[in-house]
Amino acid sequence: MILKTAWRGLARNSRRSLAVGLTVGVGAAALFLFDGFNIGITNQYRENTIHSRYGYGQLNTKGYRDQVFEEPWKEWMDGGDELLDQVRAIPEVSAVFPRAEFFALLTNGSITLSGRGQGVDGEAESKFFTTLNIEEGKSLSDQADGILLGKGLARSLNAKPGDRITVLANTTRGSLNALDFTVVGIFHTGSKDFDDVVFRIPIRQAQVLLDTQKIEIISIGLKDPNSWIDFATAATEKFPNLESTPFAVLDKVYYQHAVDWLDSQFRVILIIILLVVILGILNSVSTGILERKREIGTLRANGESSADVMKLLLSESLVLGGLSSSLGVIVALIANETLLANGILMPPSPGLTRQFHVWIELQPFMGVKTLVLGLVCTVVGTFFAAWKVVKMPISEALRSI
Amino acid sequence: MLLDLSRSKPGSKPSKFEAETLLEWKDSPILFDCREISFDYFLGNTKMAALEKVSFQIRSGDFVAISGPSGSGKSTLLNLLGMIEPLQSGEIALDGHSYSSLRERDRNWIRRFKLGFIFQSFNLIDVLNAEENIEYFVNSQGLGMAERKSRVEDALKAVQLWEHRFKKPHQMSGGQRQRVAIARALAKKPRVILADEPTASLDQTTGREIIELLKKLNTQENVTIVVSSHDPMVLEQAPRRLRLKDGKIQSDS
Repeated sequence: MILKTAWRGLARNSRRSLAVGLTVGVGAAALFLFDGFNIGITNQYRENTIHSRYGYGQLNTKGYRDQVFEEPWKEWMDGGDELLDQVRAIPEVSAVFPRAEFFALLTNGSITLSGRGQGVDGEAESKFFTTLNIEEGKSLSDQADGILLGKGLARSLNAKPGDRITVLANTTRGSLNALDFTVVGIFHTGSKDFDDVVFRIPIRQAQVLLDTQKIEIISIGLKDPNSWIDFATAATEKFPNLESTPFAVLDKVYYQHAVDWLDSQFRVILIIILLVVILGILNSVSTGILERKREIGTLRANGESSADVMKLLLSESLVLGGLSSSLGVIVALIANETLLANGILMPPSPGLTRQFHVWIELQPFMGVKTLVLGLVCTVVGTFFAAWKVVKMPISEALRSI
Repeated sequence: MLLDLSRSKPGSKPSKFEAETLLEWKDSPILFDCREISFDYFLGNTKMAALEKVSFQIRSGDFVAISGPSGSGKSTLLNLLGMIEPLQSGEIALDGHSYSSLRERDRNWIRRFKLGFIFQSFNLIDVLNAEENIEYFVNSQGLGMAERKSRVEDALKAVQLWEHRFKKPHQMSGGQRQRVAIARALAKKPRVILADEPTASLDQTTGREIIELLKKLNTQENVTIVVSSHDPMVLEQAPRRLRLKDGKIQSDS
C-alpha cells in the first residue's frame, strides 16, 4: 500500500517530480560518465605505461632497486636462456623481455651526446610494446646493428633513419668500448623525459658493448592483465634471489601518482555533484512536503507514527530516485555508445607531449554504485526536508492550508 | 472487547502498553471521562484560555454535539479527546486509560485502533481513490487482505459510495468526499468517531445527509459520535448537546 501510495504520489505535482527526477537523473548520468572517464583515462594510461616501457612488471636481483651500486652489473642476473625459460614456464607469463640498461655517449658526425641505452630483444619487444610509437623508420627487430632513438635524442643528434651512430660505453671491466649502429627508427612514448635520452639496441649488442653475458632486468608480459599477484607469488617461490616489481611501482612518479591524483579529483567532484543533487532535492522536496502538511497531520491523527510518515515520504523518494537514477544510467550508456563513441580528445597530460583519446569505460559495478548514490541522495535530501514536518504537532499540521 | 495482537502492525513488536494493557482493553460504559481540562493557546506572549476546567463524561454509544460560538473551545476540546493536542492540565481517560500515562507509541496505537476522525475539509489523500483512501488506514491496522477488503466494501456501502469507489477526491462532490471520510473512520471500527465541523463545507441538504448518516452509524453500528459544530441543524439532530462558551461548559442537555 505504501509503495502504491508512493508511486501515485509522484503524480501529485508532476512538474516538481520532473524537477527532482531531472536533478537526480542528470547527477547520476554525470557521475556515471565521470567515473567511466576516470577509469578510461586510468586504464589507457596503464596500457600506455605497460606497452611502451615496463611490461606488467619486472624481475631483478633482490634489493637491486633499493640501492645505488658502484658496479651495478655485478648485481645483474645470469643472462643465459635457462633463467628466461624458467620464468617463461610460470603459467601466468606470456612473454619475457631481457634488458640491460647503461649510460653511453652517442656520436653522429660531429655531434656527441650522452644517452641512456636499453639493450632489448627487439623482435620480441616489437610484438608486445605496441604503444612505443615509431615516428620515423621502423621498430627494432632482427637488425643486428640497429638502433632505435627516442624522438628528443634523435632531434638533438640530428639523426634520421639510415644514419650511422657510434655508441661509446664503459665495459663491465672498466675499459671503453664502442660499436657502430644504423638508425632503424625514431620512437616516442609521449613522455618527454624518456624520449629525450633513451635509445635502444639489441641486447646481444649491448652485452658485447658492455662485455658481459648478464642481463639487468626481465620485463614480464602476462596472459591475464590481472594476474600479476599470482605471477609475483610464483616468482618469489621459484627464484628466492630475485624480486618482482609491478609497473605501477616502477612508474610511481607518472602512473601511480597520476592515478592517485585522478582518484582524488574524482572524489572531490563526486562530493560536489552529490551536494548539488542533495540541495536540489532538498529544495524541491521541502516545498512539496510543506504543501502536504495537512495530509501528514491526517495520517498522524489516524495513528501513523512520525516514522511511518517518514517511511511513506522516503518510499516516494526511493521510487523517484530509483527511476531517475536508472534513467540517468541508461542515458549515460546511450551517450557513451553514440556521442562519445569516438572517445574524447585530450590535450597532453603533464609529462607527455602528445594528445590522446580517452574512451569512457562504463562498467556494471559503476552503474550499481551510481544507482545506490542516486538513491542515497534522494533519501538524504528527503529525510532532511521531511524531518521537521513529520515531527511537528498534529494539530499544527492539520491547521496548515 | 478483547484486542488481539493480530491487529498490531505486522512485524512490529508490541510495546509494553500494547502487551500489558491493550490486550486486556475492555470497553467501559464511560467512554470519555474528562476532569478539569484546561488548555491555553499562546499568541506571541499573550496567553489565551481556550478551555477552563472543563469536566464531563461521554458514555459509550452516545451521540454528542459540542456547540458554541467561534473561539469557545469546541475544536480544542475535540482535539484533546482525539489526542491531537497535548493535554496541558486536567485528565482525560478513554475506557479508563488515562491519557497522561501514555507514551507516543501508545497514543499512535489508540489513534489507529480506537479513534476515527472526520474533518471539516475532508482531508483525503488526493492521489488515492475512494477505496484506497480507506484501505490505507485499514492496512495500517495490520489486517489480512480479505478482512481489509471486506471492511472497505462494508464502509463504502454504508455511506452509499460503493459505485464511486474508483473516483479520486477531485472527481467527487463535497458531500461524497465527506462520506468517504466517514467511511474511512468507520472502516477502522473505532470506539468513537470525532467529527470536527463535518457539515461546515457542505450545503444544507448535503450536511443533513451527512448527519443522518452519522446518526445511522451511531444507532446501527453502535459507534459513539462526538461532533463539534455550530450548525443548528446538527444540534437539532444530536440527542445530547454540550454547549461551550468562553472555554467553559454553559449547558449539557
